[in-house]
Amino acid sequence: MNNKGKELYEEVMVKTSKVQEKDSLERKFTDFWKLACLAKNTNCDIPMKYDDSTLEFIDKHREQLSEMRDKVVKNLDFYVEKCIEMFKKNKFKVYYAKTNEEAHEIFLKEVGDVKTVYKSKSNEAKDIGLIDLMKDNNITIKETDLGDVLVQLFDYQLPTYQVGPGIHFDVKDITAKIKEKYGVELENKQSAIVQFYRDTYRKELLNDVKVSLTSANSISADDGCVVLLENEGNISLLTRATEKHIVAVGITKIVPSVFDAVLITKMIERSNGADLAYISLIYGPSGTSDIQAIPVKGMYGAKEVVVILVDDWRTRAANENLFYLDYLKCISCKTCSFVCPASAAYGNTFASYYGLGATAIIRDYIHHGIEAAVKDGLFLCTGCENCSRWCPTDIDLANMMKNLKKEATEKGFCPPPIKEYQEKILKDKNPFK
Amino acid sequence: MKLIYLGCLSKKTYKSTCDNAISIIKLLDSEYQDLDDVPCCGSLSYHITSEKDLKEHVQFVNNWFKEKETTDLVTICAGCYSYLTNYYPKYLGSDFNVKVQHLLQFMDQPEHRDKLDLKYGGEKLVITYHDPCHLLSGSPKITEEPRSILNSIEGNIILKELEYAKNISICCGAGGGVYSSFKDNSDYNSNLIFQQAKKARAKLLITPCPFCYTSLKRIKEENKKIRIPVIKFEDFIYKLIEGVDPIA
Repeated sequence: MNNKGKELYEEVMVKTSKVQEKDSLERKFTDFWKLACLAKNTNCDIPMKYDDSTLEFIDKHREQLSEMRDKVVKNLDFYVEKCIEMFKKNKFKVYYAKTNEEAHEIFLKEVGDVKTVYKSKSNEAKDIGLIDLMKDNNITIKETDLGDVLVQLFDYQLPTYQVGPGIHFDVKDITAKIKEKYGVELENKQSAIVQFYRDTYRKELLNDVKVSLTSANSISADDGCVVLLENEGNISLLTRATEKHIVAVGITKIVPSVFDAVLITKMIERSNGADLAYISLIYGPSGTSDIQAIPVKGMYGAKEVVVILVDDWRTRAANENLFYLDYLKCISCKTCSFVCPASAAYGNTFASYYGLGATAIIRDYIHHGIEAAVKDGLFLCTGCENCSRWCPTDIDLANMMKNLKKEATEKGFCPPPIKEYQEKILKDKNPFK
Repeated sequence: MKLIYLGCLSKKTYKSTCDNAISIIKLLDSEYQDLDDVPCCGSLSYHITSEKDLKEHVQFVNNWFKEKETTDLVTICAGCYSYLTNYYPKYLGSDFNVKVQHLLQFMDQPEHRDKLDLKYGGEKLVITYHDPCHLLSGSPKITEEPRSILNSIEGNIILKELEYAKNISICCGAGGGVYSSFKDNSDYNSNLIFQQAKKARAKLLITPCPFCYTSLKRIKEENKKIRIPVIKFEDFIYKLIEGVDPIA
């Protein structure tokens, strides 16, 4: 028996067993996540709002989305150049960072002497390493998305649901924590907690923000637009009531046109069953030409909008490996996680640093190799192919997971019980002999 | 030669199911034969095996088919169906000359359905059917045939769909060797399938996949709250043919 395979198998067993422990954070998250998956997997995701189901919506737009994403990832250089050109025309300050480290330098330069950065959820900012960078440079991070505010309040470190990262915390625990931190006693009600943050935090967001940080859901190349979606209004405030708005975004978020970008926002909304209130289409800093037609930047909205386009692993991945190229088509809608039996059963223990589910495990593989993917829970995947059947951009995620399992097995990282079947099949032509 | 391809899991674990399947297939076409030492198709480990080893294994099985002059094959296993219809043509190309059918396709041929002439004489019975992922990933996918067969049954029998049926079916959580290594997956997902069956007010849950059946059967045995019995498709059909109460 291969010792490394056994060792990794046991490590994953320990990790996943936390889901079964009463009152563990993994258990709390997974209990919530199971319900979320059920709700999203169903035929009528946002009951009675739409005439068609999410799957019908996906089926209707899959070809268009897949072709569009394919065009972008196969011509990344062209679209990056086009984006930079259009952003410049639109008076954005635009940077292209070849690596995360370059992005860090640019970010610190742009933040300057300001010691507090207000951020929206911006998953890519975390991905690019900006959160750790700010911590290391003693820059105070002010989360504004309520989910992330809660995550920060609880100092929650585990991978979580990107749309509602704090959704599994109990109302009672939240009010207790608020009392502990702010000395304010609140009624144990969701609305009381929301009102507390509205009353206290909104004023600050309207008046004190010097530098804000977001990540775009999409950026369109043909007209240079940053597209952001939200339901809280925090992004609307952060992108307007600020001196400087920094957008940190991976180059694979580029789409050809703003119409493609809007379709992606609708897809993300439908897949997540989230009822979005706002879509922001940002075409540059605020300004006015009302005084003798002389343009002046910075009226009521942001004075400066800085876009940091980050490549890091993306172009390399596209050039080196065809399977990565397919992976780059991902629009981060997370449909694949909602329909995944392993994700439902194991919640945030079938996950990596990069987030929940198979896509996050593959990301970990790209950066840290096969052993990391096995530790994340690669072999919890049943190979049911639900992810591939549902994917709106036609990515064969199931096949990628299968390729990873093959690589893991070749290196001796396969869980022993699964490996035994293989040995018997190849040797005896019968797994049960 | 026309071959009955039972699949290793069924052959090892579900002997009476195999007997029932053999009886049904032979009833519909007496030329079909069940042979000893049929090699495993390789489906159980295809996801972890290198292309080279897979190709060699598939060639071995194909040579066995050739040796036995196999022209047609009916399998009762969803995993075998998916693997035989996807990977054998992929690795062997025109060298693979066996017509592969799943028992559901075989039974749903009009002349076979007429011959089966399924009847149910008991009191009102609500049944439900779970779509296994291997039949969705097979080529072509099988979703309509089981419904066509179940709806053709004469008598007071009603097929109610699970909320997650056909393309959005929930995986039982046992595939990919996960059943042998991480049981929590099938604990949760198989339980969920039973909850869906309860919601559909079904009195019987029917599955055509031996892996799903194994997982569903275990979770039912371990959980006293689950009252709905689970039955393999061919066992259900055989009981109807024999005039036996399918719930008994």
